[in-house]
Amino acid sequence: MTAGSSPPAFTLQTSSHPLYTNPALADICMGCGSCAGACPISGIDSMDPRKLIRMATLKMEKELLSLDWPWKCTLCGRCEQACPVGVEIVELIRTLRSTRKRALVPGSIQLGGTTCLEQGNNIGIPKDDFLQVLHELQEETKKCTGPDSSVPIDVRGSRLLITVNSKIPFVEPENLQWWWRIFYAAGESWTIPADNWEAVNWGFFSGDDDAARTMVGRIVDNLERLSCQALLLPECGHAAHATITGLQRWFPEALKQYTIYTALDLLTEYIDTKRIRINKGLCYERTTYHDPCHYSRNDWVTPAGNSAEQARKITRTCCPNFIEMTPNRRDSYCCGAGGGTMATPFEAERIFHGRIKARQIRETGARVVVTSCPTCRDQLQAVLNREFELDIKVRFPWQLVSEALLPAEKQP
Amino acid sequence: MATPDEHNRRLSDRRAIHIAYAQAVPLTYCIDSDLCLHLNGTGHCSRCSDACPADAVDFLMSAQENTIRVGAIIMAPGFSPYNPQGKGSWGYGVLDNVITSPEMERLLSSCGPTSGRLLRPSDNRPVKQLAFIQCIGSRDPHPCGHGYCSSVCCMTAIKEAMIARDNDCELEVTVFYSDMRTHGKGFDRYFQRASDKQIRFTRCRPHGIEPAGKDGALRVRTINEQGRQLEETFDLIVLSVGLEIQEPTIQLASLAGIHLGPEHFASTSSFQPVLSSKKGIYICGAFSGPKNISLSIEQGSAAAAAAASLLMSRRDTKTRKLRLPPAQPPAAAVKTGVFLCHCGNNISETINLETVRKQISVLKSVSHVEEVLFGCSQDTRELIIDLVRSLGLNRIVIAACSPKTHEALFRRTIREAGLNEYLLEMANIRNHDSWVHALDPDAATDKAVDLIKMAVAAVMLKRPVTANTAAVKQTALVVGGGVTGMTAAINLADQGFPVDLVEKTDRLGGNGLNLHRTWNGEHVPPYIKKLQAQVLDHPGITVHFCATVLDAGGHAGNFHTTIRDHKEHRRIITHGAGIIAVGGKRSLPDEYGYGKIPGVVAAVEFDALHIYNDIRVSRGSSFVFIQCVGSRDETHNYCSRVCCTHSVQSAIELKKEDPNRQVYILFREMRTYGLRESLYNRALELGVIFINYEQFGKPKVKSHDEQITVEVWDHILHRPLHIMADMIILASGILPNPDAGRLASLFRVNIDEDGFFQEAHPKLRPVDLPTDGLFVAGLAHAPKPIEESISQALAASARAATLLSQKEICLDAVKAVVDDKHCDGCALCIDVCPYQAITPLETIDADGEQHKLVAVDTMRCTGCGICQGTCPKRAINVVDFTYEQLTAKIEAALN
Repeated sequence: MTAGSSPPAFTLQTSSHPLYTNPALADICMGCGSCAGACPISGIDSMDPRKLIRMATLKMEKELLSLDWPWKCTLCGRCEQACPVGVEIVELIRTLRSTRKRALVPGSIQLGGTTCLEQGNNIGIPKDDFLQVLHELQEETKKCTGPDSSVPIDVRGSRLLITVNSKIPFVEPENLQWWWRIFYAAGESWTIPADNWEAVNWGFFSGDDDAARTMVGRIVDNLERLSCQALLLPECGHAAHATITGLQRWFPEALKQYTIYTALDLLTEYIDTKRIRINKGLCYERTTYHDPCHYSRNDWVTPAGNSAEQARKITRTCCPNFIEMTPNRRDSYCCGAGGGTMATPFEAERIFHGRIKARQIRETGARVVVTSCPTCRDQLQAVLNREFELDIKVRFPWQLVSEALLPAEKQP
Repeated sequence: MATPDEHNRRLSDRRAIHIAYAQAVPLTYCIDSDLCLHLNGTGHCSRCSDACPADAVDFLMSAQENTIRVGAIIMAPGFSPYNPQGKGSWGYGVLDNVITSPEMERLLSSCGPTSGRLLRPSDNRPVKQLAFIQCIGSRDPHPCGHGYCSSVCCMTAIKEAMIARDNDCELEVTVFYSDMRTHGKGFDRYFQRASDKQIRFTRCRPHGIEPAGKDGALRVRTINEQGRQLEETFDLIVLSVGLEIQEPTIQLASLAGIHLGPEHFASTSSFQPVLSSKKGIYICGAFSGPKNISLSIEQGSAAAAAAASLLMSRRDTKTRKLRLPPAQPPAAAVKTGVFLCHCGNNISETINLETVRKQISVLKSVSHVEEVLFGCSQDTRELIIDLVRSLGLNRIVIAACSPKTHEALFRRTIREAGLNEYLLEMANIRNHDSWVHALDPDAATDKAVDLIKMAVAAVMLKRPVTANTAAVKQTALVVGGGVTGMTAAINLADQGFPVDLVEKTDRLGGNGLNLHRTWNGEHVPPYIKKLQAQVLDHPGITVHFCATVLDAGGHAGNFHTTIRDHKEHRRIITHGAGIIAVGGKRSLPDEYGYGKIPGVVAAVEFDALHIYNDIRVSRGSSFVFIQCVGSRDETHNYCSRVCCTHSVQSAIELKKEDPNRQVYILFREMRTYGLRESLYNRALELGVIFINYEQFGKPKVKSHDEQITVEVWDHILHRPLHIMADMIILASGILPNPDAGRLASLFRVNIDEDGFFQEAHPKLRPVDLPTDGLFVAGLAHAPKPIEESISQALAASARAATLLSQKEICLDAVKAVVDDKHCDGCALCIDVCPYQAITPLETIDADGEQHKLVAVDTMRCTGCGICQGTCPKRAINVVDFTYEQLTAKIEAALN
């Protein structure tokens, strides 16, 4: 605020909360400021998590819903991690997102969700195009995997069902090939559904719980239809988070019936059970690992899983010249592109958000950054690399594993 | 064998054989059996036992089980500091320059690992930017710690910050806090002094600590008070860790069969704050909730009082009396024995005692010099006794540590040997020499010789002195019939000491009559009724209603206090001890429209309206509490301690009755200290809204058309808020008793700058008044809640009982003595005596000539020596510090 001008007074009157009933969403806050210090975008729009909570406590509903800030927030959860009394800040922000008029949802988040509901994936890829891409890719992959391999589409009775991020088939198809090589080496029985293969759940971003539930329900339908035993959420921190949270909330039976793998769970299982063997020392450039918020901060990951440790084990094996960023794991800084912000017009904010991550990377002197989330990868490689002149390459653990696979005949 | 030194918080090393710390009692070496090669079975080393001249090392010694039959147990297991390792994002244990407050204590200590210099553990470079982070492990239920407030850490941080600043005025110090909980007596002033010293206090809790670069600097990101995010770097960050009860104490409690409450603190009732859930087991200190030194010491005395009253019938059945040989008349020739203490190696490591011994042996009056390893050990004391008897020594010099701690012991030793206990002089060659001149052993040795020569010169001039004794009148006077006064009176009377209780009104109960419940919800009125009945029915208590104290005189063991009772009768009460429990007074607000706007009431009035369900309360839908009304301002520069808890409790009640009510608490610091923090959390959960205001931006209360509006600046949103209120409740503070000043001057004690009675020492003697035999408790001492008043009442009673349980008391012989020949009665000494111990005296000699003199009341005199320094005729001398002795000392030093 500028000197001389005083902000307008707010008159406190209402006695009931229009937004929420659970006091843990805001009321229990004692205003200590931990969250506001922890949040990488405190100050944007003169807002911070503490102010948001305060406005909720003071029942300033109208002003809250007029804010874009909840959409600039990446739902990274660092604030909630820092909170000494356990205010459910992320849930509060999701509530604000879901309460806002749909017409005011910024960017293409709402559109993506609607497209997915109508056409089975966020960007509306027609079924024929999807299948054609898979077949073309398979032809190419055969060079590595051998002539008898084929893309298993809708194969009933496969052990493992795979979902796909709709961005991948056309934009970065190699992502699929990496996995296919690994499946081939591991002798996995797997399948891709011909319909409703999308794992990215924008209903979760927009706060549209009905849409989110439908999307998770479709994955459960595919598991049942194809009589699979396990589900792999191959690459995306968000997809894994949204799907597992959705299963917990709406399909607890399915959660019990099927084994749910994150990408890191499955890779770890393959390596630990020696289903695949990998070349130790794939890359000797200085390498660091960026913890995607969903994988590192939240406790939702599959019961035995500790994603942050799994990812490090794989990364350290392939890239022995490893260095940590500090803070890391639970205390890691978000890269700035979570929470669907890639689909919003708030680019300047997204870059600002990533400044701390960029500094952390620079301080390590790493040339290679490994991360387990495509959105983090995009933000690190395309945005932060450019804006902060980091000169880094960003890679996925499954990419490392795929490249480090020892051919069967050469395995000792 | 070396291992990290636990006393220095692992910041330095110690050996397998070590003294726990310099002030340890007993000050003897012990062997760490885990580390000792002989005891842990890894080797056959026995170097220590071979080297020990006293043959004191016994490897076969083992733990023994003893059964002791007792009538009562006092449990004082204390607390453990919270260990932040691996918890939260503080980097403790990972980042070298992140330390805890107990570690900081060692770094600041002159006998700590850095000799008191503030150096960064990472590279021993001096610290330039220091930060404290409060509430580590306290008020932090979510990630790692405890929900309660640890109560002492705010003051600890301020103290450590002040010492660090005192040592280095360039040092930048920041304290990050949520609420500064300086609610103790005089603490707010200390907090202000710290702010005046440029220590920066920032109201924000940092979420974590990160390394900034590779040279050990630390980065903290916070929100400042203007709402801006700041990134700052520091060299050293101190985590103000809280207090917790750990497993060994929990097991001990379970063995004792006593109940522990939330977070493993022993559960007690507010009305019996030192009684455990089991009869005969008493509790004191932080075991029953976080508390500071003075409260812990009070509770120690209180537990003793409670146990003494339980064991009353067995008093003195196990006491053994010391039998001493008759003191020998002094021989004509002075034969001085000098004992040179090594104090382990505390002295001998620096000072060459061999050189000292040679130089002292040649002194004329010295007939024997003996070097001893520990002067205070039992065998050395026996050696001293033997040598006094066999060599006929009649003056003793102990060259060792401080007379403050050890003089009494050595006096007793030579008295046991048959010498008058005053024929002793100590030379402090440890604290004043080896410790402070450790880097210059030659100079230290020379200084030791000088100090001992001075002592030898002084001791030669000493004469046997007989201390006076005085009979003790084994009764007590308690002034004030509130909860504190009644509690003290009942305890003393239960211990068998008759009590006169003076109450200025016609009713017992005092301020307690306005209270309805304690912080943990116990009902006060039935308890007060019970106390009243106990007092009135007790055969040992005489209550004087409508009585005031008119005059006071006498001394410890024999006071005589004049009172006037309701029939306008004057009477003189003689008593051995006195407890002042005159309470305090509620302050009447003079702001926020009090008395002008009908909906604005004080907390005490609101309580009554609330209990009787007045229509203003029952129909009200919006309530605003305003804190610190008549506290923490220019005229009342102290915290009233109880109001935060009280308002929060009322707010909870209002919300519980009707969740649709709007309840606001406008506060400056929320001081729901200790376990009371759970009330604050409960209030938040129920939707009570807390708004922080500063003294310079007080809320404004306006009334228009019978609608009250409160305007206040929101500390988080940085914009004004308007609240439509039905009632405003002013949390008005506690004032001292208006009669305190008059009473203080009658009893020759002091009141502090706020008007409360000033205790003898705020930490170590919290209920003693500076005049021996007089004690203070309750609101007369400072604002406090009922359970602390009760603890204090019991503590005062215990302190009084230690005096009253003696038939006679022996007075110290170190008193001023008037030399009649030289005194001309000029009376200069009368004016300067702080104890009013000197009075003018006129005598008539054999020739009928009148002489003006002064007389010293030895009961009042403390031997402070101010009179001696003032007397132009050198006609008044303090025993043991006479001009003659002081001159001899100076001459010995100069020659």
